[in-house]
Amino acid sequence: MSIIINDEYFDKLAQTIIDGEDEECVRLINAGLEAGVDPLEAVEKGLARGIDKVGEDFGTGVIFLPELAMAADVMKQGTAILDERIKASGSNRLSHGKIIIGTIKGDIHDIGKSVVAAVMQANGYDVIDIGIDIDVDTFIDAVKEHDADVLGMSTLLTLPLMEMEKVIIRMKDIGMRDNVKVIVGGCPVTQEFADEIGADAVGFDAQDAVFKLDGLLGINRPRRTAQLKAE
Amino acid sequence: MKGFDGKLVGSVYPITPEECKRVHDAAIRVLEQGGVRCDDERAAKMFEDVGCTLENNRELVKIPEKVVMDALGKCPSSFTLHGRNDPDLDCSIGTGEVHFCTVTGRYIDDIRTGERRKVTRQDAIDGTLMADALEHVHGLYKPVMWLYDEEMICNSQILTTEWMKHTNKPGTWVYNTGAEHEVSDLIKMWQIAAGGEEEMRRKPHMLGHVVVNPPRVIDVHYTDWLIGFCDSGTPLSIESALMGGATGPATRAGMLVQCMVEIYALVVQSQSYKPGHPLAFCSFSPAMDMRTGLWATGTPEFGINGGGIAAMANYHNIPVVGFGMSDSCEFDQQTAHEKALKNYNYALAGLSWIIDLGGTAGFNLVSWPEMVLENEMAAYIGEYLKGIQVDEERLSVDTILKVGPLPGSYMKEKHTRKWFREEFFMPELNNKEFFESWQRGHVELQEKAKQKALSILDNHQSPVAAEIQQELESYLGFCLQRDLG
Repeated sequence: MSIIINDEYFDKLAQTIIDGEDEECVRLINAGLEAGVDPLEAVEKGLARGIDKVGEDFGTGVIFLPELAMAADVMKQGTAILDERIKASGSNRLSHGKIIIGTIKGDIHDIGKSVVAAVMQANGYDVIDIGIDIDVDTFIDAVKEHDADVLGMSTLLTLPLMEMEKVIIRMKDIGMRDNVKVIVGGCPVTQEFADEIGADAVGFDAQDAVFKLDGLLGINRPRRTAQLKAE
Repeated sequence: MKGFDGKLVGSVYPITPEECKRVHDAAIRVLEQGGVRCDDERAAKMFEDVGCTLENNRELVKIPEKVVMDALGKCPSSFTLHGRNDPDLDCSIGTGEVHFCTVTGRYIDDIRTGERRKVTRQDAIDGTLMADALEHVHGLYKPVMWLYDEEMICNSQILTTEWMKHTNKPGTWVYNTGAEHEVSDLIKMWQIAAGGEEEMRRKPHMLGHVVVNPPRVIDVHYTDWLIGFCDSGTPLSIESALMGGATGPATRAGMLVQCMVEIYALVVQSQSYKPGHPLAFCSFSPAMDMRTGLWATGTPEFGINGGGIAAMANYHNIPVVGFGMSDSCEFDQQTAHEKALKNYNYALAGLSWIIDLGGTAGFNLVSWPEMVLENEMAAYIGEYLKGIQVDEERLSVDTILKVGPLPGSYMKEKHTRKWFREEFFMPELNNKEFFESWQRGHVELQEKAKQKALSILDNHQSPVAAEIQQELESYLGFCLQRDLG
């Protein structure tokens, strides 16, 4: 049965993000595309509204990390399908910014960085999580490949900390640093350390990272409780 | 050092023996069907040597139940962590005694200035002396996490030197910075502190922690430590570091199953490398806090999981140890009740070595007055563990018949004089004053703890022999010259 593109359709699409229902999200998108939905409209009126609600509910303590992470994942799957169509039509989707994020070389801790990625995504950023134990070249290549606005580096350990500085030095050497902001985070990362290595900001927790990103990229949005607390 | 050995030790578990069997069977299903990943040929060989199947280019290890049971059968049911050159400090692990051990942190509430700051080399010395002086601190984890006023290279070596120079109490060690010579240097320092390589093999004084990288990965660095521990005769504490809901399942039973999968894998690995090497299961698996993503170390599920691991250890007749800890970011009511409840729960479940005193906020904060207060908490727990001793004299029938009914008092009875010190607990610091007297003027508990801690820092001397201190300094000099030039 053909789908009718109306407010009810966009509400259902938004709800799939809130509920973390990936299969239903993909089904609705494909059905919508068949019925002639504007892919840009599907993102803005459907997926983005859903993820905004998720971000708001997480910020105010209504939902928890697993729900947020699942929503971010569904958002990623949905936008991947719609982005192809948007690009094919020659237009661009609005995003707060594109972030490359990873755990630095010498450290295989994944959870903290993944939490930050999910919260960033739920707050309207395009996040490309390139994983753990990431060396200088891989960070640089990912920033280039995705034309990222921000590079995020994380660690839980002290000994590999200086890998962060190596990445920033390389960014300067190849003339990338002026165009790409750098945010760092993780247990041993202090403001003093971030200043010392020339990072633009430290995210002391996931909400704080979003708050700092907003500042770096000039995003104004209504402050939620958790953000106010972080501030 | 005599631990707390009351009749309630090992009396309360969160699962029944029948449920232990179900957990065991579930863990075996995972090991046989899914196995563990292992990226290190040395570890792969250890598993292969005892009959495990290697798949996926030798990276996936499938472990049959028989191999697990054979390995468990080789593990001793108890061992001793010895005092260094002092048998009075020996801690018996797996024999029904509960011992308390300090925990570590990156920051300290400075006892003199009140400032919260990063820890330094002097704090490592102070923390060790504090632990050495306190009666119910039976052992030490590293007194501080790192030395922020020293180079990161050789940081563990400097820390260990100060630690070994200032106490003879046994200790517990978990992987620190991952620096190149960390394993061999630290073991060498422990051997110096013990009075030599053979002396340490004969009387091990450190508990060496080996951790699986969850879910289900045998970590290369921990294999380095496993080999180092086994070669030097250091008993192992083997643990899963899973976080429920993140690197482990979100049910308590599921967390316990994965813990046992990972613990069994380490039992097999270690017993293949060195059959009969002593080890303990260890509780180190909290849930993830569902708002922040942090490990929730003070929550009931961490303590309950520890009780579950203790039940499984009891089921297999293996010793069990564990980490306490609180999530509070200061020393307050939250710290007090999270620690007291979890540690009592641990002690009831028979954990022999509880790593918790003096720190909070998940390895972030230490305080010496807090160590003093938690020394008293340990004493309380020890007293609770005694339960009620029932024998003819304690039943007191003759005395009851003699004294009552009113008028009459037990206060001047010989029976009272004989028994009250043993049967009644008398705290050193906690308040027992009349309410009105207290209202008129008192010293706050925190202040009493601070004064005791200051007194220890001002007066307590290291018990470590001068020649051992010199030898440790000399070896540290070698390390610094080698690594820093």
